[in-house]
Amino acid sequence: MDTLVARYSRPKYQQNEVFSEQEQQDLADAVPSLSLKFIMPPVAHPSAWLRAATDDRSNPSCPIKIAHGTTTLAFRFQHGIIVATDSRATAGNWIASQTVKKVIEINSDLLGTMAGGAADCQYWLAWLGMQCRLHELRHKRRISVAAASKILANLVYQYKGMGLSMGTMCAGVTKEEGPALYYIDSDGTRLAGNLFCVGSGQTFAYGVLDAEYRYDLSTDEALELGSRSILAATHRDAYSGGFINLYHVRESGWEKHGFTDTNPVFWKTKLEKGEFSNVTSDLAE
Amino acid sequence: MVGKDCVAIACDLRLGLQALTVSNNFPKIFQYGDQVFLGLTGLATDVSTVSDLFRYKVNMYRLREERHIAPRTFANLVSSSLYERRFGPYFVSPVVAGLEPKTGQPFICGFDSIGCIDFAKDFIVSGTATEQLFGMCESLWEPDMGPDALFETISQALLNAVDRDALSGWGAHVYIVEKDKVTKRLLKGRQD
Amino acid sequence: MAPHSNGTSPHWSLKSGVHQQGCPELQVLLGITGKDFTLIAASKAAMRGATILKAADDKTRQLNKNTLMAFSGEAGDTVQFAEYIQANAQLYSMRNETDLSPSALANFVRGELASSLRSRKPYNVNLLLGGVDPITDKPSLYWLDYLASLAPVPYAAHGYAQYYCLSILDKHHQPDITLERGMELLNLCADELKRRLPIDFKGLVVKAVTKDGTVEMPFDNDRIVKSA
Repeated sequence: MDTLVARYSRPKYQQNEVFSEQEQQDLADAVPSLSLKFIMPPVAHPSAWLRAATDDRSNPSCPIKIAHGTTTLAFRFQHGIIVATDSRATAGNWIASQTVKKVIEINSDLLGTMAGGAADCQYWLAWLGMQCRLHELRHKRRISVAAASKILANLVYQYKGMGLSMGTMCAGVTKEEGPALYYIDSDGTRLAGNLFCVGSGQTFAYGVLDAEYRYDLSTDEALELGSRSILAATHRDAYSGGFINLYHVRESGWEKHGFTDTNPVFWKTKLEKGEFSNVTSDLAE
Repeated sequence: MVGKDCVAIACDLRLGLQALTVSNNFPKIFQYGDQVFLGLTGLATDVSTVSDLFRYKVNMYRLREERHIAPRTFANLVSSSLYERRFGPYFVSPVVAGLEPKTGQPFICGFDSIGCIDFAKDFIVSGTATEQLFGMCESLWEPDMGPDALFETISQALLNAVDRDALSGWGAHVYIVEKDKVTKRLLKGRQD
Repeated sequence: MAPHSNGTSPHWSLKSGVHQQGCPELQVLLGITGKDFTLIAASKAAMRGATILKAADDKTRQLNKNTLMAFSGEAGDTVQFAEYIQANAQLYSMRNETDLSPSALANFVRGELASSLRSRKPYNVNLLLGGVDPITDKPSLYWLDYLASLAPVPYAAHGYAQYYCLSILDKHHQPDITLERGMELLNLCADELKRRLPIDFKGLVVKAVTKDGTVEMPFDNDRIVKSA
């Protein structure tokens, strides 16, 4: 009788389900997926050991240098969300790459940004993409940005104190939420907000962004402000640079607005608008 | 960097506090005679202190000797002055480049922070991007380059090296020193 | 264990807690040059530990008619050093009946700070030195930190303010701006600091140096700043 009731009390869209909830769960669990079983170093305190070996801030000569140093930003405005990042990866003072993709396309509607440990962000945002897809398959509708960000926040909180290092933003536009933006970091913080900048260059981006941010920005103004804020940060922060990676998220999904080298953009901004008056462009003594 | 009857010396223009770029116009090359140049990398305060100190010492030398200082003499002055601070060194690694006044032969050398001289026949590098600079110079440098080829080589070596170093760059100065001419150029480097 | 800490301390202690320093990074110094002036701004809070001791502190000293110096850093060192420099600048002016130029003063200050750096007890002071050259009438601004690094710059900041304000000034500053525009830029910077700094720095004292001397500028510190 209970099973009968259960069957007919299901929401309509689940009524012609071939597999039961439990069977679905079993199937999902049985699939060889991104595993959550990590091999731990054979020492008494793995997290302390890892920190000693990888934290180049407290120990500049640490044997493993994790790539970090970044500027990422995202802000909400009337026509959706702008997401912009730089593209530099550094290991100590060495510029390991100038062409990192710090915006992760979780799926066609959701974007994540990377700051902190590059590998941590890449892995867990890919994992989050998988969870979002599974949610879609199980529930036959798109996951909300709130739920997606909570999945990630809960996950990193499980690993708190084990040396994960990530500062990420989840951006998406859904019918229920409108433009939604969440900040999640490896401490377990999860915040909804209008405007976030994350990474070593965050303050420089905040400076430019706060001065001219309004919710009723036009799309062109918002894109320009996003990329100008990243440019500001790449100029002043040694650990940010490379290319400006620009996205616009709308309800119909995200749109990419280029992966632009900062160098020509910088000189154009300086020579045409007269900004960056601290930089000399001619040899006058 | 040594060429045929010419030398080149170049520096970036950044002054920074770790990650923060404070100034983009902080040249690190100083002239101490018609054909004597000193490049200083390291702690910014000591770059200024040491350059001022040598300006004083070279001016005193010129007054006493009634002639300009030769690069080799200057190199020995640098060496002994740095060693005077053996137990509380200036945190700089200098590079000297110039032409010998009598023969017109190129002269370059580098130092550690307490004055050990490193003579070289090809190139000397110093600063935060030394590894990158060694790589660039080892592959680009060849003997007996003329002033134009030397300018191109030293510029490419410097710009490409600092583009792989987070802490240097933001423009560069290049000096090409020839027998009767010194050319100074500004390179517009990447500003990130 | 210190030798005297066996329970019978040789001195009575009033547990004053004066050794807790106000974080120098939280003190705000800003400087902007324009067409014919240099603006210097400094935060008004004098902090010690978790306390704001004074909310109308003036962290600037006038060196001569055309030169002003703002300072931040360790308590005690700042005012001692600034007034030592001020006295020497004034002595020079009296002896020679002429003022040193801002660049000459900047290099003098750097020399003093550099020799102090390698002394037994260095001054821990960060400075902005702004002025207008009495001969050429050109405005100038010098950035000096406690290590005696000296850099001539068109605009500058010290402490955490650097991290927020330099990017704003990179965008909005032009070399030939008017004094009114300069004040607008300071407002832009002050608003951002009020928005993002975790403590209240109690507003700014603003002074403008022109060829005619130094004047304190009226500055509205009670503006309400909206967060994003």
